[in-house]
Amino acid sequence: DKDGKDGKQSFKRYASYKGELALPKEVEDLRIHVDRRSRTVLLPVYGYAVPFHINAIKNANKSNEGDFTYLRINFQTPGQIAGKKEDTPFEDPDKTFIRSVTYRSADAARFDNLCRQITDLKKEVAKLEAEKRDKMD
Amino acid sequence: MSALASFKNVFHGLSPEQGEMRLTHNGLAWQGSDTKKVVTVTKESMRAAQWTRVARGFQLRLLLSSDKRRETFDGFEREDHEKLAHICKQHWELSLETREMSYRGWNWGEYDIQSDDLAFLVATKPLFEIPLTSIANSNIAGKTEVSLEFLNPEQLKPDPAAPKRRRAGDELVEMRFYVPGTVERDEGKE
Repeated sequence: DKDGKDGKQSFKRYASYKGELALPKEVEDLRIHVDRRSRTVLLPVYGYAVPFHINAIKNANKSNEGDFTYLRINFQTPGQIAGKKEDTPFEDPDKTFIRSVTYRSADAARFDNLCRQITDLKKEVAKLEAEKRDKMD
Repeated sequence: MSALASFKNVFHGLSPEQGEMRLTHNGLAWQGSDTKKVVTVTKESMRAAQWTRVARGFQLRLLLSSDKRRETFDGFEREDHEKLAHICKQHWELSLETREMSYRGWNWGEYDIQSDDLAFLVATKPLFEIPLTSIANSNIAGKTEVSLEFLNPEQLKPDPAAPKRRRAGDELVEMRFYVPGTVERDEGKE
């Protein structure tokens, strides 16, 4: 069915949480939080705790400017690879996508740590998915 | 007027200051515990009441009929719903409507301008809302990309007086969207 036997990957559905009850307590600080167990990064957006599944995230990077550290999270969206055929599948490429978000903080060590946590979680999940695929073959 | 109920550790809007809210037959009053600032909402000005899970617990949102279109209060607990719903119904003739947010973790959906907010919806449920007044700048960064900047010029400089460990959270600086080419370019002029 959706297993993409023709070599083209198909989109696999995912979900961070079933409902608000599952949100971790840390969100009340209005700070970015990585929930490893749910493979989700929670972002504070104007009072809301907004979950993004690690599968929706492409990468994270940081930069220092003056007294602040900036953390930028890039998401998977269509139309990002110019001149190259896309192989990332999307459930609905005609929707509007959040492409990136940037936060800043005066606490450089915390943002360094967050950036590392996101990168590590991305690697870890990619590795697990690859192992799962190998087992299926 | 005697209070029907009072709640401690309630935030007004996005402020980091906690305060106490007292509810009476005629409406509600919130007072900040540090600044002693008072916010009142009369029953007559309330048009609708909503209950939403936010980052800081639950939010009571009152939509108002006056020019100031709403007031929000964060920091309620799950169990407070019953008491609030009862007061809304019995004293203010409003039903406390629960708003379901999206928790799927998807980054695709639809944006919608809803009076004073830019809402982003995932499978018809809101993922977040951004007050339009908080958008400092917006740009069309490419044929399919729109960027929003949030910090106002005075916020861009570090404030040396601000204590390093204050309760304020991480600051959202910018958000970029991929918008497929269905919108005429002229509509994007701002």
